[in-house]
Amino acid sequence: MARFRFALVASVICILAASPLVPASAEAAKTLYVGGTMALTGAYAEDTAAVLAGYEDYVKYVNETKMLAPWRKEKFPADITLEVLWRDDELKPPKALTIFEELKAKGILVFRCSGSPQALALKDRLFEDGFGAPSMATGPYLLTPPQSVFTYYPIYTDSLAAIADWFKENWKEKRKPRVAYLTADNAMGRSIVVPELEAYLKKKGYEFIGNQFVPLVPTSPPTTQLLWLKKNKVDLALGVMINPGSQPTVKEMVRLGIGPHLEYKMVFGVPAPGHTAVFAQAMGKLGDGYVCAGSFPPMDDLSTPGVKFCNDLQDKYRTGKRVTHIMYEAGVIEAMIQTEALRLAMKKLPFEKLTPRDVLEQGFYKIKELNTGDMSSTPLTYGKGDIEGADTVRVDQVQDGKVVKLGTWPCRHLYKR
Amino acid sequence: MGLRSGTFQESYAQDMAIFHTRLDWGILFAFFIFLFTCPLFFSDRILTIMTMIGIAIISVHGLNILTGYCGQISIGHAGFMAVGAYTSAILTAKLGWPFWAALPSAALAAGMAGLIFGLPSLKIKGFYLIMATIAAHFIIVWFIFQLYGLTGGADGLAVPRPEIAGIVFKSKRSYFYLVMATACLATFTAQNIVRTRAGRAFVAIRDNDLAAEVMGINLWSYKLQAFFIGCVYAGVAGSLLVHYYAFASADLFPFWDSVWYLGMLIVGGMGSTAGAIFGAVSLKLLDELVTIVGPMLAAIFPAVAAQAAASLGLIARGLVIILFLIFEPRGLAHRWEMIKAYFRLWPFSHQE
Repeated sequence: MARFRFALVASVICILAASPLVPASAEAAKTLYVGGTMALTGAYAEDTAAVLAGYEDYVKYVNETKMLAPWRKEKFPADITLEVLWRDDELKPPKALTIFEELKAKGILVFRCSGSPQALALKDRLFEDGFGAPSMATGPYLLTPPQSVFTYYPIYTDSLAAIADWFKENWKEKRKPRVAYLTADNAMGRSIVVPELEAYLKKKGYEFIGNQFVPLVPTSPPTTQLLWLKKNKVDLALGVMINPGSQPTVKEMVRLGIGPHLEYKMVFGVPAPGHTAVFAQAMGKLGDGYVCAGSFPPMDDLSTPGVKFCNDLQDKYRTGKRVTHIMYEAGVIEAMIQTEALRLAMKKLPFEKLTPRDVLEQGFYKIKELNTGDMSSTPLTYGKGDIEGADTVRVDQVQDGKVVKLGTWPCRHLYKR
Repeated sequence: MGLRSGTFQESYAQDMAIFHTRLDWGILFAFFIFLFTCPLFFSDRILTIMTMIGIAIISVHGLNILTGYCGQISIGHAGFMAVGAYTSAILTAKLGWPFWAALPSAALAAGMAGLIFGLPSLKIKGFYLIMATIAAHFIIVWFIFQLYGLTGGADGLAVPRPEIAGIVFKSKRSYFYLVMATACLATFTAQNIVRTRAGRAFVAIRDNDLAAEVMGINLWSYKLQAFFIGCVYAGVAGSLLVHYYAFASADLFPFWDSVWYLGMLIVGGMGSTAGAIFGAVSLKLLDELVTIVGPMLAAIFPAVAAQAAASLGLIARGLVIILFLIFEPRGLAHRWEMIKAYFRLWPFSHQE
């Protein structure tokens, strides 16, 4: 009897453990899925949670109103329901692959990439299986074939070129400004260490000094790196960092007397996802002078239609539990892109016949001038070989503890391979 | 040895055999048939999971030889995988070598790296060796980023799909076969390595290195052999991984992977070839389980932030490792032996 009980318990445990591996049956209702892999554990957790919230609210809006945005006239097919599918990849590339396979088996026709490691792992696989995917990471590696991963804010190198343009326009001294990289020590951070950006900086009249690397999330203040910049008389430090990296770095800068308004004058500029909105909220006036390029309008800028839309979405679907992180806008933009690709593909093919490749070719590639309510710096346009959606770079600076838009600069499209 | 009652060994060869009875051979045969037919009834997703498990098994076998058998704790295993991965990537993508030549070269390169970073093991052990192997990981990654012209730096390197005798391993199905064949070969080799003179020396060093040295075991040679063999396995796993991704990047080999490989060994059972398999399979499946359960929990408990539900993976793995360390330090392999012992006299009950 004891053996029987043991065998029974063991069988139940085995069945329970294996049950998630059984592919789900196709749903009878007309449901299309959006979403994909999310990095909800690790350094990007905060950003990704806001992205996920954006997806969820946008999908609720489309399902309820069948509209795509308040400023758009086109409607989403009335008989089709959207649903968000997501899994946490913990920033692990192998998990991103199995998540892709799982969601593909569930019938998802579009996908998303959460971070650089996942985008690198998924890039070829997505293309082979004909999937289009917006990406939260915008490293230059996305510009090399095969290309089916799309960006909605500029590539890091183009964002930094815009900061360099802005800085040079405001440079008053006769000598050449001295520039160096102070960047995260991972694929995202090091993706700017490419000859094209260095050549552009030199062409713009900069004296290039060298590189310094800081852990993605520093465990100790990057004093050595900052003192190196000071010793080498650097005027502009450029890097790719997320807020958990840029905030402690700037705190240490202030302690060492480095900053645009401190004894040693130096400006520190990063591309999105080092958003000024998140930075200013946490750092206040301590972070004055910090520059970020390629970001979105702050969440309190209700004069921007897209931000107002985000605000309205949260009023409706997120009462009492509002998301203040700027990446909520990114989530809404991504959901918009995926929904638009599905909608465009359905104009050519019936729902039943849709395949990921159809959505890529008849959807993503056909997205032209997608109005995001000015959340992205320009309306988004994609095509075969054209995966960069935005053509200008928005540059913001923290001034007096607040985010101030410095302007927009053209996207230089530096990375050519 | 958990042999069934009434099974007798009549010669040394029989005693040393891995498979003793016809039933053992039958099970092995059935297992191979199962593996061979898997792609017929499993989806792409399950094949991907199994492929990942296969690669993890190869890697954990290497760590098992190094840590489980020889007692040299390494938390730089992902770094050694990166050496193999990049060697294979450079040889195939830049020099146009065929995969069948690049794979052993990758194993050799990782083994050589293991030899270099294994040198401190002659002077240091325990906690200090752990620190040295952690350093190895970061040094390797630093080199990958610095050798831009060769490795592509942070841009990474596009890697061609493996091709052997005109067969391109491009589909998930074909790659599954490639990985499983390699994993089976790696398991067979690992099981035999630990039964050799070197294997017994590894165990002696692990149990008491001073006593082993007094008995005439050359610590210098055997510790380095363990590092070499362990890293050869890591190199093979790394190579298979990047060819599967078709892309090589240092970010594909995060430091934490080394920690989880060690966790797999703890859960599976150190110093046991079966343990390496049990560990890799169980932690990878646990990974998949929590990936699916996370969104479910987030939907059921909307008050709980999505990150909290998603972080289950880390919590679950950590908890499982702690529970095994406390309640079953000899791992699942030991549990398996106990289950086999329980049924040894089946259908007759017996008491210890």
